[in-house]
Amino acid sequence: MRTRIARLEFDRIRQWMPIVTLALLVAFVGVFQPGFLEPTTLMQLASDTAVLFVLATGVTFVIMIGGIDLSIQSMASLASVIVALTVSRWGYAAFAFAIAAGILAGFLSGVAHVRLKVPSFIATLAMGGVLLSAALVLSKERSITLQTSERGYQTWITGTLLGVPNVIVIALVVLAVAHTIQSRTRFGRYSAAIGAGEPAAYASGVKVDGQKIIALVLSATCAALAGVILAGRLASGSPTLASELLLPSIAAVVVGGTAITGGVGSIWRTLIGALIISVVRIGMTFLGINIFAQNIAFGAVLIAAVAVTIDRSKIPIVK
Amino acid sequence: MNAPADNPVLAATGIEKSFPGVRALSNVSIELRPGEVVGLVGENGAGKSTLMKILSGVYQPDAGEIRLAGKPTRFASAADATRHGVGMVFQEQSLLLNLTVGENIYLGNEAQFTRFGLVNWRAVYASAARQLAKVQVNVDPRTRAATLDFATRQMVELAKALTLEEHASGRLVILLDEPTSVLERAEVEVLFARVRALKARASFIFVSHRLSEVVELSDRIYVMKDGAVVAELQAAEVDVKTLHRLMVGRGLQAEYYREPLQRPFGDDVVLELEGLGRGDAYRDVSLKLHAGEILGIAGVLGSGREELTRSLAGLLPHDRGRLRVGGREVRLSTPADAVDVELGYVPRERRVEGLVLFLSVAANITLPSLGDIARRGLIDLGEERKLAKSWVERLRVRTPGVDALCLNLSGGNQQKVVLAKWLNAKVRILILDHPTRGLDVGAKEEVYELVRAITNEGVAVILISDTLEETIGLSHTVLVMRDGVVTHRTSANPGAKPLQVDLIGHMV
Repeated sequence: MRTRIARLEFDRIRQWMPIVTLALLVAFVGVFQPGFLEPTTLMQLASDTAVLFVLATGVTFVIMIGGIDLSIQSMASLASVIVALTVSRWGYAAFAFAIAAGILAGFLSGVAHVRLKVPSFIATLAMGGVLLSAALVLSKERSITLQTSERGYQTWITGTLLGVPNVIVIALVVLAVAHTIQSRTRFGRYSAAIGAGEPAAYASGVKVDGQKIIALVLSATCAALAGVILAGRLASGSPTLASELLLPSIAAVVVGGTAITGGVGSIWRTLIGALIISVVRIGMTFLGINIFAQNIAFGAVLIAAVAVTIDRSKIPIVK
Repeated sequence: MNAPADNPVLAATGIEKSFPGVRALSNVSIELRPGEVVGLVGENGAGKSTLMKILSGVYQPDAGEIRLAGKPTRFASAADATRHGVGMVFQEQSLLLNLTVGENIYLGNEAQFTRFGLVNWRAVYASAARQLAKVQVNVDPRTRAATLDFATRQMVELAKALTLEEHASGRLVILLDEPTSVLERAEVEVLFARVRALKARASFIFVSHRLSEVVELSDRIYVMKDGAVVAELQAAEVDVKTLHRLMVGRGLQAEYYREPLQRPFGDDVVLELEGLGRGDAYRDVSLKLHAGEILGIAGVLGSGREELTRSLAGLLPHDRGRLRVGGREVRLSTPADAVDVELGYVPRERRVEGLVLFLSVAANITLPSLGDIARRGLIDLGEERKLAKSWVERLRVRTPGVDALCLNLSGGNQQKVVLAKWLNAKVRILILDHPTRGLDVGAKEEVYELVRAITNEGVAVILISDTLEETIGLSHTVLVMRDGVVTHRTSANPGAKPLQVDLIGHMV
């Protein structure tokens, strides 16, 4: 009994760990670089976190259900290419094409996952390859810079609303919608149930296959949106635009405290996780660490976060 | 090595073991003498498996002592127990089917054949052949385990246990946990002959539900009930009937199963099966279930009753015959189909299929019927809490609150949450698959009371249970199945309940 109480205490502490970590990191960087704590810098930090947060939010849905999506970075890159190629001719419809491509890709990985009984990590790994090749072929392997005339369509991304950058507004809308889906809809509840105990969810009449497809569609749709935002911010589309973002996205979800094994988590935690990753990234920049070396840190952070958060009494065997 | 004949090979005294909410063993003492086969019988939940797990080092006792050849011993783990010469032959066979017989026999013990990290497989197979000769099994140790029949696999398990001779000093103790449950009669005889021949090498504890086999093979028999040893008997002086009476031995049976609360059921047929069948599991099953009726199905393992109930739950769809719910023909391909026709399933594996342990009590209660509390696609969380609270109150679920994880509840309270979940979904048919498995007596009584209350409100129940006594005590109607077909049907009105012996005749 005493050990159980100790466990509960530890669980409670573990719940607050991500936000405490974030506060400590912000304070730490603030001490070394006082400029970091100024509103404009913090606003910049939030803007830079938006894309990562949107990507991580999508993959949160899949991780909650006990799966994983390894195609998000390719999907985001493809979306940027689609926007860059079609915006001059089709205008705002270009964004719809990109989002539609995301819905389709997510649906296809979902069908492969549940109908052909392929594990999600294989289905999405393969889908990621398909999407990357599609982006390379469509873009003829080059980066496509948006013309000045095309940039007008990007103001909903690059502009500001009452002084707040639109990307932050978009990220907040994504937060509100995703949080509502996760905490208030049947899909959200079912996905937690499937992640925590699929046989019981199934025996209770939950249509498990459908929920898994929805999760992968949401993930790919978020990835497409992230690609659209990225294309707007960088004023270009490229088949490798988001290729470095898979690792930080998954790290953000797990660092935020969502269990990699599914069932436990929330979009709020992913927000905290994404902010942690961003602060770490900025901190490293201040410390003069080569930007290309930063994934070494994120790789280490991911392993450490999973090792700390996984509850071995509940999950004795990990494959 | 040569212990005097009266000195037990293994003696356990005053063994105690509790799990959260359950006292599994209280003051259990047994001993095993050289060359002896000791039978261990009891109903499910009597504590047999817990005792076996303690003797084989899987669990550590809370109190009590185990002596091996007179020496107090503690087993830190199952591997530690095998080092002391205590081996277990499991009921669910533990052979890895993708490996060869020889690889299986020495799995985890390859070190003796290993030099510079390389295994000398020729030596492994030669040695495995010697082990197989001990149990007189004539198979090539290079055969894959998957290609063997159940009986031969069981012999290989026995041969594997006998390898302990090579490391352990002193006599071997081999625990046989339901080794005959998947064997045909002729195969059982072969197994028994081998066990008798091996008495010179080892002593055995034999656990089985098949009482006649226990009487046949054992020298002495311990009877367990509700976590305690209630009798120790010489096998020569006992018969199956006496054993059974001792296992069940409970006064006031009618009161226990709430028979005074049993009301006649109505005329409405809520579920009708017509010539239902599935593969080799069961066939030609026809029955009518009425509102307010409890229909118990009795049968041994392999009778098809387990598969039949899983078909009705949508987990193992039927492939022949017709199934009508409320007069409408339906096909139950998934549990979702079953829920759609207001049919709920209380599974045997409560912690796997019954509840999502890492979700709250409230979330589990509303899981099959979330649509009822969704407004414009959004779950009404206040409504959910209110519903959950009212069920927790009505069923007297002992939980810190409706937000507590189901993981932390005791077995009986977990089962109440499973029942609440289906009651909240307003099911009209409830399939109870071993509904009191693993529950202590008090929790069982609460479940019985609840089942009576539910049926008196018009819900129809199909029940399969661990014990015949429970089936008879609860049911209005009892069906007996054997080898996939219904062999007997009888009503079980209060005061006119069928006798167990009469049903057993139709079961085997």
